[in-house]
Amino acid sequence: MRFFDVNCFIGLPTVAIQKPVKTAGELLERMDRAGIEKALVWHVCQRDYAVAEGNRLLAEAIAPHKDCLTGCWAVLPNQWGELPPPQEFCEQMVKANVKALRVFPGMHNFLLRQETLGPMLEVMVKRRIPLILPITGEVGWPAAFDLLRTYPKLRCILSNVNTCGTERQYAPLLAGYSHVYLEMSEFILDGGIEAVTARFGAEKLLFGTGFPRRGHGGAMLALQHAAISAAEKAAIAAGNLETLLNWE
Amino acid sequence: MKPTPIKPTPIRPGSALAAEFWEQGRSASCPVINIHAHPGPVYSGYMPNCRPADMVRELRKVGGRLMCVAPHSALFAPEIGNAEAESIVEEFPQEIRAYMTINPQYPELMLRDLAGFDKKRHIYVGFKLLPDYHRVRLSDRRYQAVFEFADERGLPVISHTYANSPYNGEAEVEKVVARYSGLKFIMAHCLKANWRAAAAIARQYPHAYLDLTAVSGQWGAVDYLCTHAGSEKMLFGTDSPWYGLHQAIGQLLSADITDDDIHNILHRNAERLLNLTDSEG
Ligand SMILES: [Zn+2]
Repeated sequence: MRFFDVNCFIGLPTVAIQKPVKTAGELLERMDRAGIEKALVWHVCQRDYAVAEGNRLLAEAIAPHKDCLTGCWAVLPNQWGELPPPQEFCEQMVKANVKALRVFPGMHNFLLRQETLGPMLEVMVKRRIPLILPITGEVGWPAAFDLLRTYPKLRCILSNVNTCGTERQYAPLLAGYSHVYLEMSEFILDGGIEAVTARFGAEKLLFGTGFPRRGHGGAMLALQHAAISAAEKAAIAAGNLETLLNWE
Repeated sequence: MKPTPIKPTPIRPGSALAAEFWEQGRSASCPVINIHAHPGPVYSGYMPNCRPADMVRELRKVGGRLMCVAPHSALFAPEIGNAEAESIVEEFPQEIRAYMTINPQYPELMLRDLAGFDKKRHIYVGFKLLPDYHRVRLSDRRYQAVFEFADERGLPVISHTYANSPYNGEAEVEKVVARYSGLKFIMAHCLKANWRAAAAIARQYPHAYLDLTAVSGQWGAVDYLCTHAGSEKMLFGTDSPWYGLHQAIGQLLSADITDDDIHNILHRNAERLLNLTDSEG
């Protein structure tokens, strides 16, 4: 099975984790060891330090590894012109091999909604650029529901969805919006892969590890032995994400 | 003719154990023992595999030998108490043993259950405490009867433990393990996420153990606990049907520890702790 990890990061977090991975080279070494072919990666400075600087650090880090590392930048509301205007920002994304965006409305102190991020979100809908929503500790469920009500065609990846009683939270989003996806890094529910596949379809799940905060092996072994078809496994492991990132 | 290159095992290259788990989902040399599971439905969320029969099926998939359970009904419905635990073990005597759950909010029920314990040793391996949820501190005198009971008999007591909790945090755990050295105290969740304190307690007290439930996913935590407490003090648990067995085993295989350590964690230590003879590996 080919694995394409939708959720991993590089860099040293302000608050240390047990085993951080500082560089793209170190990340690739661990991916290689685990048997993961490709990853959509973000830089922890995008969250912990400053968005534009973090985005730049990420672009530099992944530039030599275009075949196996794709970038994910962070985005901000642009009332103060902190980032280039949406169209220009998208052109920069394409040049830097950045194929998805994520937001940290908690750390970065903004409301995730039309009044703040509207112009960017409209471009994202038009160009089919996926937005990663780290739910736990950042976006929260009410903001995710409101965002999708306003932008029902936005491609959204629900991320860092831990399994302590979230099944009733994400299910209406998977059921109600055809472009909402769930990434697996903290989705460790016993029988969860089978249950989501049966009820909402394998196209809704994306393989993700949360590396290096979490290890590689959990999501890999769970998917390898899930009671679903080989085609469904392949889609979750890599195929769904490849389709999603192919928006250019 | 060139030899066919050996395909490296995903997750943990070079490990025969990982190769077996990857190819077959199980390892003949590794009869997994899950020391932390909770059959039955629970208020907080939907759990597709919560029926005991589903849980046994999942255990068999990983080549599991045994799981030790405290049903959600025993944890949260005092009027049902341990009744379901007993019927589940009777239904699956090969694969399931129970902890007697103690809710000290109801001292009279606790004393009634304790009085019946010795006649039900085929069902119960020890006791389960959930202080954070029952809102009683481990050092509260209402827990004293169960600690004395377990201490006299050398029984395992598994307790929910979390960092900074007034009910089952570092200080409360240390009070109990310092006072009762006859029982075997299992720190569920290893004082998440104060690995340093958990490892220190497990190292200092021979009768203190670390249960990796909801811990092995934190990359590096297992390595830390292994280095500072030793794999002989670590036990495998998953909180099933909350968390899946294969994902938990996969996380363990991702740790930078030896295959021997993994055998200790997945079955050997629990075999010793639960006095299971005829070890298969
Ligand atoms: Zn538990």
